[in-house]
Amino acid sequence: MAGQTTSTRSPGWDLLVEALRGQKAGLFVGMLVALGWTSVRVAVPTLIRLGIDNGLQGDDPLWRWPAVIVAIGSLSGLFMGLRRYVAFRNARIVEARYRDRIFAHIQRLHFAYHDTTATGELMSRANTDLQQFQNVVTMVPITTGNALIVIAVVVVMLIVNPVLALLALVGLPFVNVLGRRFSQRLHPAVLGVQRESAELAGVVEETVSGIRVVKGFGAEPVQSSKLDVEADDIFDQATDVARIRSRYLPAIELMPNLGLVVVLAYGGHLVIEGQLTVGELVGFNLYVFMLIQPLRMLGMVVAQGQRAAAAGERIAEVLSTAPSIVDPTHPRPLPSRNGAGLVEFKNVVFDYQRAEPGAASNDSPPVLRGLDLRIEAGESVAIVGATGCGKSTVARLLPRYYDAEEGAVLLDDIDVRELSRHELRRAVSIVFEETFLFSGSIRDNIAFADPGATDAEVRRAAELAGAAEFIDEFAEGYDTPLGERGLSLSGGQRQRLAIARSLVADPRVLILDDATSAVDPTKEHEIRDAMTEVMTGRTTIVIAHRPATIALADRVVLMDEGVIVAEGKHDELLVSNARYREVLAAGGDADLEEATA
Amino acid sequence: MGWLQGGVTEEERLDLNATGKVLGRAVRLLGPYRKRALLSFFLLVAWTGTILAGPFFVGRAIDNGIREGDRDALFTSVGGYLLAALLGYGLYRTAILLLATVGENFLRDIRRRVFGRMLDQSLGFYDREKSGVLVSRMTSDIDSLSELIQFGLLMFTGAALQLIGSLIALGLLSGRLLLICFVSVPVVALASIKFQRDSNRAYLDVRDRIGLTLSALQEGIAGVRIVQAFAREDLEADRFAQTNRQLYDSHMASVRVAAWYLPIIDIAGTVTTALAIGVGGYLVREDQMSIGTVVAFILLLQGLFEPVQQLSQLFNLVQSATASLAKLFDLVDEPIDVPDPALPEALPATGDIEVSGLDFAYRDGPPVLTGVDLQINEGERVAFVGPTGAGKSTLAKLIARLYDPSEGAITFGGVDLRDTSAREVRDRVVVVPQEGHLFTGTVADNVRIARPEASDDDIRGALDRIGVLDRIESFEQGLDTEVQEGGSRLSAGERQLVSLARAALVDPAVLVLDEATSSLDPGTELIVEDALERLMSGRTVIAIAHRLSTSQRCDRVAVITEGGIAELGPHDELVAQGGHYAALFEAWEQAS
Repeated sequence: MAGQTTSTRSPGWDLLVEALRGQKAGLFVGMLVALGWTSVRVAVPTLIRLGIDNGLQGDDPLWRWPAVIVAIGSLSGLFMGLRRYVAFRNARIVEARYRDRIFAHIQRLHFAYHDTTATGELMSRANTDLQQFQNVVTMVPITTGNALIVIAVVVVMLIVNPVLALLALVGLPFVNVLGRRFSQRLHPAVLGVQRESAELAGVVEETVSGIRVVKGFGAEPVQSSKLDVEADDIFDQATDVARIRSRYLPAIELMPNLGLVVVLAYGGHLVIEGQLTVGELVGFNLYVFMLIQPLRMLGMVVAQGQRAAAAGERIAEVLSTAPSIVDPTHPRPLPSRNGAGLVEFKNVVFDYQRAEPGAASNDSPPVLRGLDLRIEAGESVAIVGATGCGKSTVARLLPRYYDAEEGAVLLDDIDVRELSRHELRRAVSIVFEETFLFSGSIRDNIAFADPGATDAEVRRAAELAGAAEFIDEFAEGYDTPLGERGLSLSGGQRQRLAIARSLVADPRVLILDDATSAVDPTKEHEIRDAMTEVMTGRTTIVIAHRPATIALADRVVLMDEGVIVAEGKHDELLVSNARYREVLAAGGDADLEEATA
Repeated sequence: MGWLQGGVTEEERLDLNATGKVLGRAVRLLGPYRKRALLSFFLLVAWTGTILAGPFFVGRAIDNGIREGDRDALFTSVGGYLLAALLGYGLYRTAILLLATVGENFLRDIRRRVFGRMLDQSLGFYDREKSGVLVSRMTSDIDSLSELIQFGLLMFTGAALQLIGSLIALGLLSGRLLLICFVSVPVVALASIKFQRDSNRAYLDVRDRIGLTLSALQEGIAGVRIVQAFAREDLEADRFAQTNRQLYDSHMASVRVAAWYLPIIDIAGTVTTALAIGVGGYLVREDQMSIGTVVAFILLLQGLFEPVQQLSQLFNLVQSATASLAKLFDLVDEPIDVPDPALPEALPATGDIEVSGLDFAYRDGPPVLTGVDLQINEGERVAFVGPTGAGKSTLAKLIARLYDPSEGAITFGGVDLRDTSAREVRDRVVVVPQEGHLFTGTVADNVRIARPEASDDDIRGALDRIGVLDRIESFEQGLDTEVQEGGSRLSAGERQLVSLARAALVDPAVLVLDEATSSLDPGTELIVEDALERLMSGRTVIAIAHRLSTSQRCDRVAVITEGGIAELGPHDELVAQGGHYAALFEAWEQAS
């Protein structure tokens, strides 16, 4: 969020610190391993030096130093593996923990938030951003180990010969500087390649999905030249990346080599003077080698930290968004199911633009402008109106997907805001216009509202919804898997499953929001039969525009510009109300193929 | 995925012979860049030489300079070392640039070539192939190739050269000492083979788990309203946590694979160094070897085991890139069903269409159409009616030469469609598909797809001819309105208008209309109907009709059932005949 002046630290860093605190024990182990690794690793070149000076040239037993080197070197190797394991384990734990948290939080965020936030955006919070974030957790023990190595090696070199050490080390800080710059320059360029690749993928996707248009109009040359442009863009970006690599990588290699040349020249001179042994000279060489990797990685850590903080900030933004539809502290219970289901809208004013704080406000009139509507328990009411009149909004306020701005929505004389969401939403079920089924079996999908439902209850719901028949035809029946790798169902079948899903918890109020519009008109009668069945014994609100569906309801309510303008029986309104006839004229032409199939 | 560098499934894995063929073909494809590719290889060889020269000069400096107290000899070696370092810098830098140029040119060529081949394929090819697979050829397969080229090739070649170079240098220094390197070979080789296998499996496992986690994530976000509507937030969070936990487990499995392998290689290096000191010390004491040689040997050893480990990690990347390349070649080799003839004949501007003795079946499929004869006169409007799958849409597409007949022929103005070019046909016959599919770009770009050279005025003209110019120009940015997601979106009706404008711009003699099954709101429907009527005037029209209101307006109706024309004649006549069409019409009238 912009304009935060009270805290000097960014929310990204705060989240990072919080994540690291949560992994304290693992990080502590990581630090210990890093310390162990450093101490044995730094010893190895000194042991090699002793092997050369005292074994190769001196009087020590021939195999003493090799034996010590094998012992200490093996320890170093084991610590290296352990360090890696602990570092990655910490990071993956943090990653998994925060992905769970982000997902659970997203599940609880109100409809209005999801209305203004793209799916892809939330996906990248829990995916790419989280990758950047967990990277830093890996870096903590590894960086500590690297920093310790650098300090220890420098100290050892200074002890052996300060002047030679300074000469050897003079070029090495550049490795760090170059490493940092390299990482900072490379990252945006690599992102550029990814961006261009995504654009190329876009051209391919639209061509393949629109191949009938491409072929029908002979648009091959146009798509082909679009692809050429993208391929050229990738070429340019990738060549940029190569240029950056060519500028930094050889330079990063050169710096330590120059140090080694100096070590050989001045060190050689010192050996001739008798101030240094051959073993010490070789040891210096090995120490310079040992510094290269840690220095490079230390350079990259800064850039990685910055990226992780930016990613953390985006994650923190999601996690800090509070759900705006929350349970009251002391929810009131609903009266018993028997004979209940009275719905009332009292002078309700509502607008989507104003439902999400932070969304751009506008001055256009609200969707609902003082709506009054009373639906008796057990009654079925069809709400009819032109697109944008607010009829679907009525369906969304009752189960409290949004809260009314003014006025109140009541279920059995209790304001919906005084009920627990869980109880309210089990009491009020909705069948949406677009059927969304989850991957899983048919049974899982029907029992969605009530996972504890018995097979008999699931079956009963399917029968009520007119779905039992086609489900029985599948070889696996209720265990038939749905979703990407599962069976593809027709629109009507999906819709009937959605109705069954809404019935399994035996709601006192059922809302059918344009539930038949996606179904072929000729198949609608099948759904209609199912609907008549499900309406009995519960309050039903039907939002529809096809006359045959509307006629099922006891009463019809005509809405226009956010209020009710007429009500009565379907047949009566058809005769008496011109606006009603106009709205209903939006019926589709019947489909010939289906009519004859 | 961190250090995991790709992997192949058992089906994708190529044997040695196939790998050789694929790589050989890739080298031939390098074509004009082959010289530069060869040059960059030599640069890398030279660069490896400069790296190996370092320890060599140190050894010489010790033996000839330091131990003899000869400063001149010392500084000769120092000078040699410095020269090698500077030369190495230049060689490495040039090699990176050169290799990238070759690699990126190669990638650009292959992107164009594969996509070009895809565009040349007929509609039948797209019926057969899954669109997801086609897209993945151009994305994930080329990506795995480019990952190798941009990142792996330099490292792989560098590591391989360094390994070979080190072994040669070690052997030159002392053949006897070289033998000690082989002590660790069995362990290193076995560990590397096991690592390569395990990391391949770990990669595939992690990749699958990431896919599952992402689709669970996507499902949870896309279905969040349903989840809340049924108060399932906690359950869904638990369900997701299980998927996420499995991803964690497979990540950890992959971490373990590297956690045991890397120490083994590291320890092998240490043991070899220790052996070199021990054996070397013995030889020095026996005066059979100089100290400088042993030192140079020890220094060279430091660069021997690093490449082994790099090669093991990169091996999977090379394998998966080769597998991808093989799949790309398969796509390029796919024969084209509807080819242009070598010397295409020109088509007359207008003419009658004649279908004679036509049979059609999709490749390896059952016959779709058999023995179809049909004459459509210039300027006539014919409706194709019939149940789904009976072949009405296929027949229309054959007339537009989106497929070629299995038997028989289709002629336009007396010329067999197979004797002319796709371009000629597309200028005469345009297929307007059901839904107005839009491509990224502006409204103008979308109208222009069939005539890239058309000016904005041409497009205005086309829009005007179908009577919708005012409507499009009333958009805030008019013709320049972006249609892509995030930009202003067009309604279904407006998309159809754009589609009709495309056809108006081409101004073809024949229109094939694939009528939409879904209906629009009544207001827009009228505008689309009007535009369509204007577009059809003065042209031969073949309408694939889903609504009998359309067939009623045509000159003739062809009822297509079970792969043939069952009835043919004007609407009224067919209704009067009391046959198949009459039954259809009655059913339709009742339903609406």
